[in-house]
Amino acid sequence: MTRTTHLILCALGALALATVASGAASETGITSSQVLIGGTTPLSGPASAYQSVAKGAAAYFRYIDAKGGVNKRKIKYVYKDDAYDPSKTADKTRELVQQDKVFAIFNSLGTEQNLATRAYLNAIKVPQLFVASGATTFGKDYKQYPWTIGYQPNYRAEGTIYGRYVAKTSPKARIGVLYQNDDYGKDLLAGLRNGLAKKAKLIVSKQSYDVEDPDVQSQVAKLKAAKVSTLMLFATPKFAIQSYVYAHKLGWKPTVYVNAVSSAANIMGLATAGTNKKQTEGSLSIVFLKDPTDAHWAKDPGVKLYRSIMKKYNGGNPNDVYAVYGMSVAHTFVAALKKAGKNPTRAGIMKAATSLNVTNDPFLLPGIAVKTSSTDHFPLDQAKLQRYHNGHWVSFGGLFRVR
Amino acid sequence: MRRGLGIAVWALTAVAVLALYLLAPHLVSDFHSRDLAQAGVFFIAIVGLNILTGYTGQISLGHGALMAVGGYTTAALAVHEHWRDVWTIPLAGIAAGVVGFLIGLPALRLSGIYLALATFAFAVAMPSLLKKFSGLTGGGQGLRLLEQAPLQVTGLSGTVTVFGHSTTQNHFLYYLTWGIGLVAFVIAWLIVRGRLGRTFRAVRDSEVAAASVGIDLARTKTLAFAISGVYAGVAGALFAIQAEIVNPLSFTFLLSILLLVGAVVGGLGSLPGMVVGAFFVEYVPDLSTHVSSKPGVPDFIYGAAIILVMILLPTGAGGLLRRVARPLTTRLYLRP
Amino acid sequence: MLLAFDWTQLAQQIVIGLSSGGVFATLAVALVLIYRSTGVVNFAQGEMAMFSTFIAWSLVHHGLSYWAAFFLTVAISFFGGVGIERVVIKPVERAPVLTVVIVTLGLFFLVNGAARWIWSPEVRSLPNAFSTRPIDVAGVAFSIQDLGTIAVSLGAVGLLWLFFRFTKLGLASRAAAVNPEASRLVGVRVSWMLALGWGLAAAMGAVSGMLTAPALASFDQNLMQPVLLYAFAGAVLGGLDSPLGAVVGSLLLGVLINLIGTYVDWVGTDLRLPVALAVILGVLLVKPTGLFGRAEVVRV
Repeated sequence: MTRTTHLILCALGALALATVASGAASETGITSSQVLIGGTTPLSGPASAYQSVAKGAAAYFRYIDAKGGVNKRKIKYVYKDDAYDPSKTADKTRELVQQDKVFAIFNSLGTEQNLATRAYLNAIKVPQLFVASGATTFGKDYKQYPWTIGYQPNYRAEGTIYGRYVAKTSPKARIGVLYQNDDYGKDLLAGLRNGLAKKAKLIVSKQSYDVEDPDVQSQVAKLKAAKVSTLMLFATPKFAIQSYVYAHKLGWKPTVYVNAVSSAANIMGLATAGTNKKQTEGSLSIVFLKDPTDAHWAKDPGVKLYRSIMKKYNGGNPNDVYAVYGMSVAHTFVAALKKAGKNPTRAGIMKAATSLNVTNDPFLLPGIAVKTSSTDHFPLDQAKLQRYHNGHWVSFGGLFRVR
Repeated sequence: MRRGLGIAVWALTAVAVLALYLLAPHLVSDFHSRDLAQAGVFFIAIVGLNILTGYTGQISLGHGALMAVGGYTTAALAVHEHWRDVWTIPLAGIAAGVVGFLIGLPALRLSGIYLALATFAFAVAMPSLLKKFSGLTGGGQGLRLLEQAPLQVTGLSGTVTVFGHSTTQNHFLYYLTWGIGLVAFVIAWLIVRGRLGRTFRAVRDSEVAAASVGIDLARTKTLAFAISGVYAGVAGALFAIQAEIVNPLSFTFLLSILLLVGAVVGGLGSLPGMVVGAFFVEYVPDLSTHVSSKPGVPDFIYGAAIILVMILLPTGAGGLLRRVARPLTTRLYLRP
Repeated sequence: MLLAFDWTQLAQQIVIGLSSGGVFATLAVALVLIYRSTGVVNFAQGEMAMFSTFIAWSLVHHGLSYWAAFFLTVAISFFGGVGIERVVIKPVERAPVLTVVIVTLGLFFLVNGAARWIWSPEVRSLPNAFSTRPIDVAGVAFSIQDLGTIAVSLGAVGLLWLFFRFTKLGLASRAAAVNPEASRLVGVRVSWMLALGWGLAAAMGAVSGMLTAPALASFDQNLMQPVLLYAFAGAVLGGLDSPLGAVVGSLLLGVLINLIGTYVDWVGTDLRLPVALAVILGVLLVKPTGLFGRAEVVRV
């Protein structure tokens, strides 16, 4: 037995002792009337726009609770602010586990943030469910970290789709990449290279930026100077908008692929408002959620449900696509909880989460199923391509497997 | 007889402090011991900052970056060189002390607001520097001890055994941090009370006068920077050990601001006040989130608390302590 | 070899540097204003500017035209600055300098928190005051917005100069900053001069926010935080007591950072902040009073 296994078993022993000592007969965080889950999200700091992911999920749980909950238990979802600082994530997660005694960690946001707690949660066998990050490692490294599972289509796979599509439709393109200098940007870039395969030489310029930078004018100018015809924006919303505006100011109009995180309709709207309709026309992205601001979905029952939940339980911006994501992941959790049976255990919910086949998620594009297995820890791996036309995203083609 | 009474008071205080140190974790929940340990980290860093700013008069808005040096030294030694996490603490202190000394060099020609700005710039630039040298620092991902060096982490299994006594990991972290904190406090107190402390204060009160009595300004200032750097480095190492992770996002300029706020709220030029400063910085933001977790409100309350404390106690808690203690101690030492 | 060098690229990057520098020039002026009139560096200046930007957004959202909102926001910010000085700074007027610095740090959290409390965290935009239509001159592109931003900064500096030089109030303000004791003796209400300084700085901050937001294409509560250090660096480069220096220093800094980032590969775009740090250090060590500053003579 390796030393690490020995240590981990000791941890298990300690946990078992603690559970017995506390006199609990049922699983931690589960009572006859409530399931307590918790997570971390950036309520302050540079990434605070993403807090709607947690808020949307919380609103959905309140909706489910109003209908009676799951197996007569209400779902209580507690999310704490980590200000996007991984050391605070570790601290708050420990608090949720050791003090608040949650059943599972759910929907914590951020790549580095979830990496900070992964080893700890796996060592003490607390489920790290549906991590809100597209980093490939959360789905790929399940052998080492069986208690962790992601949710959204991973960034690498997204980049691969773009690479394959460019290689197929514009084999003579000159590709330039603006990417954020962290895992998220680098994952997308790696995927792009992967998708281009032999045509990786088409990438003629790569410019990175840091989240602390005020502007990316210099990078955009360098990309233009390299005579880039196809621009990959692997950047967060603020910098994606800037890229459109600065390209416009330079009199440059490349074909733009904008990554899913920054493709929300309100972001594209800001980019169009800052330039003109022509600058954003023809941009490409992938999509897996229904966009509440898209007139195409106005009468869709899923979007209507979203709006009614937001109105009743949230009161936030009803056009927030991050909240739609939150509702989708909450819907999936409810499905897993139902599957875990009348007396859910941590091991039980993990088993349920890794044997999902949910086809009725009202917030995902029709045809997309939430599917996992013991060897497939990527719940969402389907998406469609979409093109920006006349101020709206229009999806086209079939469902891609985002793997 | 008065003298005896004076010594008795000191002895009693020391015993009380020691008792509090040993008993505190048993008075709060196991998890809260970790919070106390975090306060201890701030305490050590703020004591060091006080030596530099309170006693030597050199403003630094860059001590968060020095903590980063200490924290990353610990993490890098654990991950790359497989050192046990606790044994890295001295080296982390030395590394940060060296960097502190290096900062002290340009600081010789700067003072007041310019020194504040230069150290502030250092604090702001630190995350970029950390990300650039990614081979050593793990770049944007940072270094995660549990994943990359689990065998080097003390208390991985949840319990720690020292000299035959077994405690939980949280308690161990508390004892380690405040144990070092008490030692660091005593050392600082000895420095401040001794010749070096008088030299520091002379430089603070008037550089020209100090130079005119033969004090080597350059040596004194860089020494103050180096010493406070060591403190910050040790604090950073303990921070890394507690969090089990170092990441550029944990060492932004906000940390440097927090340290200076803690030092001033605690009372510059007062070492005991630093306990108050550390607890202020550790608990007030947390308590604010309990008042309301609506976005923005905790920060609003925290900012208001800082301003209120400064208005009511411009010389910080230390100033208050001095005002309260002076009638008591003067009584003790005055002849009837 | 000279012909192979891409002169157009160089010119373009210089123009971009000027554009970037123009963005933080007005914030630099605000920092200089408050330092000059109160001797304090206000670390909350950026957050106050951000708050003013949100006020402007709300006004536009409620139907006002951009310029109406602009001037109204400047006025509101002026009184806001005065108010903050009276309520928060006045009580610590006589306290040690560091106490006041900590108060401004407290303001930093307070104003940021207030902005998050009142307005939701999503990304917004302010309408452009100037057109972003590209203008091409010999292969180098720029827009009216770039020129407009710099012009407004210089215009503001000019107005301030006129105010300080030719009005009684401006003279009193300068006197109060230079020698408060003597000023009191000749009847200057020194305390109110400090309030005036804060008001002017806040107004300048509002201008800076309303220029920065369109220049950076979008804004949220984090608008000013990346800009703050560059504004400090620009102000230091130009001289902490010279508004014109703040503008020139900022423009110069913008160009410098951009050129170093473009042509020194190792620095690239990753190390722009450390470059700013190096500039601050370099300037402070060689000429502490900056390009335009006046040497301070201190009586010992």
